[in-house]
Amino acid sequence: MNSKTLLYILKRILLAILTIWIVITITFFVMHAIPGGPFLSEKAITPSAQAALEAKYGLDKPLAQQYFTYLKDVLRFDFGPSLKMRGQMVTDIIIDGLKTSAVLGLVGAVLAGVFGIVLGSVAALRRNKLVDKIIMVVTTAFVSMPSFIMGSLLLVLFTVTWMILPANGTTWQGLILPIITLSLYPMAYITRLTRSSMLDVLGQDYIRTAKAKGVSPVKIIFGHALKNSLIPVITYFGPMLAYIVTGSLVVEKIFAVPGIGRAFINSITNRDYPMVMGTTIVLAVLIVVMNLVSDILYKVVDPRINLE
Amino acid sequence: MKKFLVLFLALIMVVLPLSACGDKNDGLSVCLSSEPDTLDPALNSAVDGATLISHLFSGLAKWAQDENGKLVIVPDAAKELVEGVVDATTGKVTYTYTLRDGLKWSDGKDVTAADFVFAWKRASSEELGADYAYMFEVVDGCPRYDDAGKRLNPNEELNVEAVDAKTLKVTLANAISYWNELLAFPTYFPVREDVVSKESWATKPKTYICNGPYTISKWKHNSVIVLKKNKNYIDADKITMDRINFYLSDDANNMLANFKNGTWKLIDDVPTAEIAALKTQYPNEFKVAGQIGTYYVCWNINEDILPNGTEEQRAEIRNAISLLFDRNHIVDAIAQGGQVPASSFVAMGMTNPDGTEFYKTAGHNDGFIGYYDVSATAYESNFAAAVETLKKYYTYDATTGKFTNFPTMTYLYNTSEGHKAIGEYLQAQLAKIGITMNLENQEWNTFLNTRKDGHYSIARNGWLADYNDPICFLDMWTTSSGNNDVQFGKGAHAGAAIYSLDLTALGYNINVTNGTWAQTYDVLIATIKSCTDNTKRYQLMHIAEDMLMSTGCICPLYYYTDLYMISDKVEGFYSNPLGYKYFMYCTVK
Repeated sequence: MNSKTLLYILKRILLAILTIWIVITITFFVMHAIPGGPFLSEKAITPSAQAALEAKYGLDKPLAQQYFTYLKDVLRFDFGPSLKMRGQMVTDIIIDGLKTSAVLGLVGAVLAGVFGIVLGSVAALRRNKLVDKIIMVVTTAFVSMPSFIMGSLLLVLFTVTWMILPANGTTWQGLILPIITLSLYPMAYITRLTRSSMLDVLGQDYIRTAKAKGVSPVKIIFGHALKNSLIPVITYFGPMLAYIVTGSLVVEKIFAVPGIGRAFINSITNRDYPMVMGTTIVLAVLIVVMNLVSDILYKVVDPRINLE
Repeated sequence: MKKFLVLFLALIMVVLPLSACGDKNDGLSVCLSSEPDTLDPALNSAVDGATLISHLFSGLAKWAQDENGKLVIVPDAAKELVEGVVDATTGKVTYTYTLRDGLKWSDGKDVTAADFVFAWKRASSEELGADYAYMFEVVDGCPRYDDAGKRLNPNEELNVEAVDAKTLKVTLANAISYWNELLAFPTYFPVREDVVSKESWATKPKTYICNGPYTISKWKHNSVIVLKKNKNYIDADKITMDRINFYLSDDANNMLANFKNGTWKLIDDVPTAEIAALKTQYPNEFKVAGQIGTYYVCWNINEDILPNGTEEQRAEIRNAISLLFDRNHIVDAIAQGGQVPASSFVAMGMTNPDGTEFYKTAGHNDGFIGYYDVSATAYESNFAAAVETLKKYYTYDATTGKFTNFPTMTYLYNTSEGHKAIGEYLQAQLAKIGITMNLENQEWNTFLNTRKDGHYSIARNGWLADYNDPICFLDMWTTSSGNNDVQFGKGAHAGAAIYSLDLTALGYNINVTNGTWAQTYDVLIATIKSCTDNTKRYQLMHIAEDMLMSTGCICPLYYYTDLYMISDKVEGFYSNPLGYKYFMYCTVK
């Protein structure tokens, strides 16, 4: 890695920090601007008890002061206590949820990547043959089917009709279906991406040259074609990983998986300010980092790309 | 590809033999709801939390089933549920309880009367800010505050003391009929000072020291809470279920899948769309239990539905509109959960001192129960009567059968398919006679805020009882109550001097004519709260409900039910009218 690349990465990290600060600021003020509050419930507590709670959590201070206090805490990686889950720290809740979501996301992403690239390559190499057509029809179906339908379908088939998998994500067996559900869409997408990109590469002059020189087909595909056809896949992979880790709310609900998506949505409904902030920051960091990683990988795969 | 799929499926079948099926040795697996907000007995205000806490703690009293299967309140930590001693001059009632010998906390330390004193003072304190702090209002010296948050009785403290390690003395401000029930309520359960000193105590199995039939052996947040029999519990030998797994999910479809494949033996929610099918598929396992609560529509009393009209006229209009809805249709075709059409606000399940149902003696009409006839046959005549009443105030076009100048209204509800369907029905009924009602939905917390602040014209509402006493449906409508969504006695209504209250026949020196809400209803509720004669007290509560219903601001639709599914392999299960479920005496066939 040369100094130019290092400088680029440094610049990107600074930019990322700026992005996250903006996210924090906007979320903080928007969150406090929407009506309702963390201590509002169907059975109302007395105004004095409410005041006592607000004082306890510092919500009685001016908003600007709360904001600066919060920024200071965030710099020390202290997200504070949850207002709704009394006695629990936001950091603990997030780590708990993230553990499961990370397993879900990483395994799902690897599955999607491996199967997507293999199927995409097969389809490209067998262009217009039956295999290609089957792959294209199936992937079209997976791309267009929303996860809640796919998830419900798998749930009914595997857990009720055939009873071979559990319907809740408490054990590792229970994570199989959510992982499959989560990975089908990106897998189908990567398949299609790889196929078209591979077709494009296979038509390039250097492939023809290699063929003319008598290079074996295996070497052409794995040595020359595949590497170059993965560039668009890599661009897609980073944001996809972030999406798959953070955007699994629906899947988490369908399969009763204790991930971070549900904690995030519930915190908004509950006006659990520190929890909303904590999850937003973690998710923002995740997305920013993933984007950065995919940009760097981009450069590794294709030295022609100039990061400037 | 095909080969691979076959291989994959084969692998799954080999690796996971019957992993979906429950194992008897794993105890009983059930699912009530998602992760409880808290398992601190003082802070909890949720029904699922109360169920868990009832398995983990032992109060002075508990809900149990007698030999005939009837629900009764029996002593638990107390040797017996003694009668109170009434002070003839002050009317205060003192109870002296003796704790049973050999009561232990789960870490082996003795349970003492001081633990109860500490727990009660903590739960009622302002610093803790518990939703259910008001559960201690009945106890003498309970902290009281004015609207501005200023303490009204700064020199008093909760009148409860530990006479010695085994004797607990508590004094109530006046006699109440539901005191024993309160003793079985989670907010009244004991906690130990050194245990709860760290706020995180109730979030980890290790620090969760309790004194009930079970302890928490594992808590995977948002996933499962595993309870194991507490060997230190005094009646541990009577507990038949060694282990209970409370799975945490809030998705009714997921719950149903887990029930259908036999993993979860009880689920506390079912998908509304599946109710009809489940009733026929699982006739013995689909259960509808009574739940003390009312689903209703509330008006903002300051909503001007009759320009230049008086409050009496508006009340008449609102009451007429209550007659336009076919509650049987709402229950049978929309809600579908065995709910009961409601004709009063105080819910079904509340009893009078003589054991009869409160709602059956509510209202003052003949030939039907409650404030209007909600039988299926009465719907058409109700509708016609309502139209006749409305004709007095609005222009009616006889050719179209519609009113032409009824102001447009907006119905506010919290986002949910079920509430929406009911809103649409109400909208359609009003549209039949030319009244336009738009629907507006808001996310839960925003909705609560809007409704509480009175920024609505009509809103969806519901209320579940905390204990079996009608007062919990009535004291929420006093002027300063935090649950006074109707805005009684607030804004323009504060000056409406149109209410009368004559209690002289009951021996009170209270006779108000043309008084405001604060001068009548608030006074009435205060009278009820200090009344020591139970028969009189219930008469007063009926008067309060009459007054409330006369405003037309409350339009009850149905009494709630609790739907759940329980496997027919489970025996020994019971639940109480508040919806708490008890698994400790269960066995699985």
